[in-house]
Amino acid sequence: MEKATEKWASKVNQLIIGATQKEGGTRNSVIKVGGATTLPFLHFEGVIPNSPVIAMEVWDMEPPDWPAVLKEPFGDVLGDPVEWAKKCVNEYGADFLCLRLASTHPDTKNNSPEEAATTVKKVLEVVSVPLMIIGCNQAEKDTEVIPAVSEAARGENCLVGIAVEANYKTITAACQSDGHSIIAESPIDINLAKQLNILISDMSFPPEKIIMHPATGALGYGLEYTYSIMERSRLAALQGDKMMSMPMVNFVGQEVWRAKEAKASEQEVPEWGPIASRGPLWEVTTAVSYLQAGADILVMCHPKAIDSVKKVIEELMKKE
Amino acid sequence: MEKCKIIFYPWKKEVTVPSGTDLLTAAIRAGVNIYNSCGGEGVCGRCKVIVRKGEVITEPTGRLSAKEKKKGYVLACRTTCKGRMEIEVPPESRLEGLEILTEEAKAKRLVGLYTPAEEVEKGPEVALERVFTHGPLSTKLYLEPSPPTLEDNVGDLERVYREIRKGREIPIMQMGLANIKKLSKLLRDSSWKVTATLGNRNETTEVVLIEPGDTTNKNYGVAVDVGTTTIVAYLVNLRERQVLGAKACYNPQVDFGEDVISRIIFAQEKDRLEKLHHVVIDAINNLILGMVMEHNLTLNDINGVACAGNTTMIHLLLRVPPEYLRKEPYVSTAGFMPVIRAAEVGIKINPRGLLCCIPGVSSYVGGDITAGVLASGLDDLSTPGLFIDLGTNGEVVLGNKDWLVCCSTSAGPCFEGGGIKWGIRAMKGAIQRVEINPSKDKVNLCTIGKGKPKGICGAGLVDCVAELMKSGRLNRAGKLISESSKRIREGEDGWEFLLVESKKSLVDQDIVITETDIKNLIHSKGAIYSGTEVLLKRVGLSFQDLEQVFVAGGLGTALDVEKAIMIGLLPDLPPEKFTFIGNSAIAGTRMCLLSHEAMRKAEKIAGKMTYVDLSTEPEFMNNYTASLFLPHTDINLFPSVKKLIG
Repeated sequence: MEKATEKWASKVNQLIIGATQKEGGTRNSVIKVGGATTLPFLHFEGVIPNSPVIAMEVWDMEPPDWPAVLKEPFGDVLGDPVEWAKKCVNEYGADFLCLRLASTHPDTKNNSPEEAATTVKKVLEVVSVPLMIIGCNQAEKDTEVIPAVSEAARGENCLVGIAVEANYKTITAACQSDGHSIIAESPIDINLAKQLNILISDMSFPPEKIIMHPATGALGYGLEYTYSIMERSRLAALQGDKMMSMPMVNFVGQEVWRAKEAKASEQEVPEWGPIASRGPLWEVTTAVSYLQAGADILVMCHPKAIDSVKKVIEELMKKE
Repeated sequence: MEKCKIIFYPWKKEVTVPSGTDLLTAAIRAGVNIYNSCGGEGVCGRCKVIVRKGEVITEPTGRLSAKEKKKGYVLACRTTCKGRMEIEVPPESRLEGLEILTEEAKAKRLVGLYTPAEEVEKGPEVALERVFTHGPLSTKLYLEPSPPTLEDNVGDLERVYREIRKGREIPIMQMGLANIKKLSKLLRDSSWKVTATLGNRNETTEVVLIEPGDTTNKNYGVAVDVGTTTIVAYLVNLRERQVLGAKACYNPQVDFGEDVISRIIFAQEKDRLEKLHHVVIDAINNLILGMVMEHNLTLNDINGVACAGNTTMIHLLLRVPPEYLRKEPYVSTAGFMPVIRAAEVGIKINPRGLLCCIPGVSSYVGGDITAGVLASGLDDLSTPGLFIDLGTNGEVVLGNKDWLVCCSTSAGPCFEGGGIKWGIRAMKGAIQRVEINPSKDKVNLCTIGKGKPKGICGAGLVDCVAELMKSGRLNRAGKLISESSKRIREGEDGWEFLLVESKKSLVDQDIVITETDIKNLIHSKGAIYSGTEVLLKRVGLSFQDLEQVFVAGGLGTALDVEKAIMIGLLPDLPPEKFTFIGNSAIAGTRMCLLSHEAMRKAEKIAGKMTYVDLSTEPEFMNNYTASLFLPHTDINLFPSVKKLIG
């Protein structure tokens, strides 16, 4: 019997994160994402040149709401982004980091853009893996912080964000002048995603340097909504919609570790099983679902979960 | 059954309802009005309330943010009560009537609205002269019946009937007892020279009035379009078939809610229905009186009024409770209202004068659309055509002589100037044409009547947004690009574009377009475009299959079709396919006022139109968000615009 395969007209954009010395940066390696000519892991149908990647979260302050089970693997480095980054790379084998500048949020420490820029510089000095840098998720404050940190990381070809409709102009301009790629976030809607891509591209920013974040819902918290939007986005890319051909990122850790299933203690809900494995499992399940939806980058937290998902990716990328 | 007591804050209003009642219903029972525009379906997300105390059962909803949920917010319509409870209604959810609306809040809601009756331009009528047999709602006949003799001794009434029927085919004729009582004396006192006013009450012809002498030269009627936002009236000489004057005012019901749904909710209590009914009748009476005085007539010379309006407006006009219009399965009390005496609802014309309402199609597509289709001639086309009404409800009709389908897109009032900072109706002084010279950063304007500008009408708004886009001053999401022009500045309502400096305006203030205005227009045009898309898809057609597109609405005396395409309001078709027909509802109503035949045709149109409920079309929301961009998220749908903006 003949295999029924789909021939797609187009493909997902390919994007490189990080710059080695040759490219004007100081990284030892780069990350390549995107480029697929088919739906996730359908190797018999098309080419999937790059494997999905995991960026490990590093904060510039001790995360106030993390449960003990998530804090435990990091021990005393939690308040120190430099040591934290080193630990992720050296101990947990991270090849891509996501530096979250949570301390700049007006509700936390309200740290200045200059302080954030210093942190970025230090982290870039101590680790040589490519870097994703995100602000504090407050659109207004991010417009002050991102230009400063973008400049501090100039030439390193980072992935910078998060641009939303309210602040995309400033963030796009910063990424444009410092040579970074950008994360464009829109709230679980294929049209809004495309609109933001158009707005960013209309500022003469190359569309190939945009990564979409269609918002992320944890397992049990709207995952299926994001899933279907991502699937539709991927189909649009394969059908040749240039304004939807961007690779996609999901902030899995950030969402999962807010869910009560990952956090609630064994005393509270004994029937849910041991807390030590419950959270990581929740993160793994969420992450694997997004891989199937078409995620190119997963931003994750727990080392155990990251290990498991890496193995899953390895299996899924096997062509036979 | 178990009862629960609920207290609504901040008014501390108490109500006791059976356990399991939803909070929206309980609130209405308590006399607390909560904003809600989907009729309690959990869709609009406007009926947010905070549970202060007590236990509730609430359905999950995506309409509340995580932050709101944490604060105890629930949707009143999706939440049922259990036991004693205390509910706080936050300000944004309060639907407040005239008595509680502060002056400031009122001024805000009425931005650009609420001016007294004013002359309006009659609008283009070239395309609208469909030929119907002259047979007005009220006809006057001068009669000289021969006085009775011993040989010819039929009764006075039969004698009048006989005289009327000379050379006329009138099967069913009636006269009311009040007239009959006076008849014999009147005939003799006037030496058998009288004028009879005949009224068309559906299939029956009524002798509405008998007057002494010949008054046939005094036979006038009024055509009224009762819009959600605007009321327009034409004074018509019924004998000469001439429009003598036109006046318009904003619908004062706006005080009680911007859209039909909030007015239906408001009308749920009896005295409030009365209020809504009264204000609209008062407004109509003012318009009529104004025109009557200007033309040196008396109210007695007005023998008939024909009204078109959306179904809710007609219900409120006739003081028929509109409650069930918004409840599943959404039926009206009547689509075809009978012809009644105008005095019965308080319209002040000749006390015996008639009121007829143009029949509607469904709860959300009313007689104004029937009248519009009648005026456009869509129902005579042999190939598919489109009729778009750029009004508050934004109805769209698709079809030809064999079939008609329609939908209502809830576009909002911006085409009539509502909700726009400097928005005004299409009247003298309204900016209608805007041109921006990008290199000199200059604006050229053209107003209706060529005088100094005092505001901007719908057509001008469309023009302005298209020009801002073309000249690179507006991005495709509708945000002004501040560095592109010195005219872009931060005003009290956020970013704005300066159209007219105060010294050049009639109002001694700067006339501006704000980002909010632009956003409103984008929402309106998106609703119209995506509604049309869904309607076409439903019958398996595409825009390219359309031979003719009629664009109606009181947004100006003309509409630049290419600019309307540029912003994505109208589909990208060759300009020659479009005909702008202005206020077609009033044009069609005037036809019905003047011709019984036209009225029969309107009934046929209403009878054969199929209503498509967009809220049950799963694709609509997706199409809608895609259309909230300039001109559209998918630029390939607008090839001519793509060429222009690259």
